[in-house]
Amino acid sequence: MNSFADRFATTGTAAELRRIKEYVADDEDVSDSMWGSEAGFGTMAHGAPDFMVPSVPDPAAFLRLHTDDHADPSCRIKIKHGTTTLAFRYKGGVIVAVDSRATAGSYVASGTVKKVIEINPYLLGTMAGGAADCQYWETYLGMQCRLHELRNHERISVAAASKYLSNLVYSYKGMGLSMGTMICGWDKTGPAIFYVDSDGTRLKGDLFSVGSGSTFAYGVLDQGYHWDLTDEEAQELGRRSIYAAGHRDAFSGNTINLYHVKEQGWQFIGNYDVSEMHYNGPTGTQGYGYSVRVEGRSSANPPV
Amino acid sequence: MFLTRSEYDRGVNTFSPEGRLFQVEYAIEAIKLGSTTVGVKTPEGVVLAVEKRVQSPLLESSSIEKIMEIDTHLGCAMSGLTADARTMIDHARVTSQNHAFTYDERIKVESATQAVCDLALRFGESVHDEDAMMSRPFGVALLIAGIDELGPQLFHTDPSGTFVRYEAKAIGSGSEAAQSELQDKWHSQMTLREAQILTLRVLKQVMEEKLDHHNVQLAQVTPQAGFEILDEVRLKEIVDAM
Amino acid sequence: MPDGSYERPQQRQFNPYSENGGTILAIAGADFSVIAGDTRQSEGYSIQTRYAPKVFRLTERAVLAVNGFAADGNMFVKKVKQRLEWYRHAHAKDMPLRAIARLIQTMLYAQRFFPYYVYNILGGIEEDGTGAVYSFDPVGSYEREACRAAGAAQSLVQPFLDNQIYFKNQTPAPGASHPTHLPLPDVLSIVIDSFTSATERHIEVGDGLEIYVVLAKGRSTQELASIGGLQELSTRAEGDRMFVIRRDLKKD
Repeated sequence: MNSFADRFATTGTAAELRRIKEYVADDEDVSDSMWGSEAGFGTMAHGAPDFMVPSVPDPAAFLRLHTDDHADPSCRIKIKHGTTTLAFRYKGGVIVAVDSRATAGSYVASGTVKKVIEINPYLLGTMAGGAADCQYWETYLGMQCRLHELRNHERISVAAASKYLSNLVYSYKGMGLSMGTMICGWDKTGPAIFYVDSDGTRLKGDLFSVGSGSTFAYGVLDQGYHWDLTDEEAQELGRRSIYAAGHRDAFSGNTINLYHVKEQGWQFIGNYDVSEMHYNGPTGTQGYGYSVRVEGRSSANPPV
Repeated sequence: MFLTRSEYDRGVNTFSPEGRLFQVEYAIEAIKLGSTTVGVKTPEGVVLAVEKRVQSPLLESSSIEKIMEIDTHLGCAMSGLTADARTMIDHARVTSQNHAFTYDERIKVESATQAVCDLALRFGESVHDEDAMMSRPFGVALLIAGIDELGPQLFHTDPSGTFVRYEAKAIGSGSEAAQSELQDKWHSQMTLREAQILTLRVLKQVMEEKLDHHNVQLAQVTPQAGFEILDEVRLKEIVDAM
Repeated sequence: MPDGSYERPQQRQFNPYSENGGTILAIAGADFSVIAGDTRQSEGYSIQTRYAPKVFRLTERAVLAVNGFAADGNMFVKKVKQRLEWYRHAHAKDMPLRAIARLIQTMLYAQRFFPYYVYNILGGIEEDGTGAVYSFDPVGSYEREACRAAGAAQSLVQPFLDNQIYFKNQTPAPGASHPTHLPLPDVLSIVIDSFTSATERHIEVGDGLEIYVVLAKGRSTQELASIGGLQELSTRAEGDRMFVIRRDLKKD
């Protein structure tokens, strides 16, 4: 029989066998490339990661059914979600500030999440949406950026890096990935921020905030932002904005992580406890909370 | 009839009755036409040096790239068909990055070398349903230098996919003279500086042109700075000190 | 209907998941790591078995605890062990703990569109000799922590650990400060108390307790001498040492 035609036939025994193989999902990790020097890069064995997909008519619906805790709070697999992140550009570089709370449903799954992903010494990515999606793909992006650097003897631009990520997640559109990230860095063009999300959006801009607490962060950020901030003012604005989100948004909080991207690369400024900021502030002298400002004057504690 | 040695030297996957694979042997011969490349291992790090053949005064010598970075802790020098080496080095880079991505650690020097040799063996035959990737063996030999938890290491690979670890190794057209010179002068407690000077001296002996900082390239892998190609200023300083 | 058709529209869905209860917990010390889990396996209100281990030795210095859907968990552990062996053959060494952590992320994420319903906690000793705990969500987001509880009684145990390990909401006495790492006997008491208490208040926890203890190379084993139900798992006396403590929990 014509073996070439057979290979693409949709009926007949060969096709039947092929369907059975697909259904049993031929064990993806056992191939020749698992042995020897490549000893199981697993999903990376074929160059780019590949993924196991359930053999159902609508895999995305399957995933949603079991993992979407917004639609169904009793769904089994609760994927961790990230929450308030912001970044803005000003004359001194880029300020990146994030909270550290991860929630699975209404449970605070972690209060110590690193939502700033250090892609490499001069690129940062932020995490909002699915924690694993951001962590995995931004690490993957870091690897691709390094290869770019080795092949071209030149650092990748922020625009190119963000475009790489956006094309990548766009290729999985509709499959259920969830990420809203800001790729921040400094390249030949100066400081740059790109917002990239799993819908395929990619925007260049001066100021972004992403996550459930973003509205609160924007409130503070928009009010205090201008291009000529000093480094100290800019860092304070980032910190103050995340505090506001941590204070007003139930899904945000715990601690603030603050980064500053300069020409020579990024720098970690510090980790600040949100409650500590509320009562004592970053210097320990003046809290962000307004209770001290209304003491003895508000309806809750009227003057004697 | 053919004037070649036998009928068995045309297929890459046909052994001769004496058990030889002529195409692989010819590929190894191709390296002997290449420029001389020297590598020396010391307790302080590994030094790689290559001769750049500047065939024309109009050729920009800085565009000749015979030492390449694989990763921060791994470097590679080549001799033979340098175009083939680029394919191999890109494979080493991708493997090294895949390893870092999958295991959050630097790949070992030997593992990276093994990966390159696995690729070198993939000529002739296709794997599973894949289309054949290559129709002939690579015509290049590599010196792979690196540092991992086992300390500084130097590996030599050839077109047959064999790799061997060396204390000091020379490949390319002047390799025979260079290797015996290395055998005389190498000792186990060399400093990095001594190794830099030794590699250049060995190159100088086998080069036709007068050695200067335009027609050689020097690189090193050290625990402090990782892989680095020495710039003209540093290279000139060593050439002058030689 | 007699002709085989249905009177009303029927809906079906592919549901390959189940939930098998139980709880796991891990705490990292300065130079040791403790990883524990109960051994009850249940489905709904019925107990399937009173001894189904959820904590597994991976290497001389790494232990993996798996909770959630037992079938997925067992398969996952099997695959991790396979990958560790392949790595050993390819690179002539045991995989370091942080490498195992990253490997687990990539393995979980490979199932991003058909997730393993498992919560993993990895504990052991790092290359630098410090105790470490890594916790994972089902699709591979991970983080190194000092302590972590997961599973059915997570919400009962984790607040207790926050208070006892991180000293959350505790104010130190004037002039004093909280220790950064607790000594091994304190950690073992906290682990045992966590499980006896979780057994009292959660129906899916109980029957047996397995506590794996990994000690960094050269560390004294003195503090374990008086512990009942102790068994050594390490094959070499030099290098990191591993022990398991098996205890009973209430069986009602």
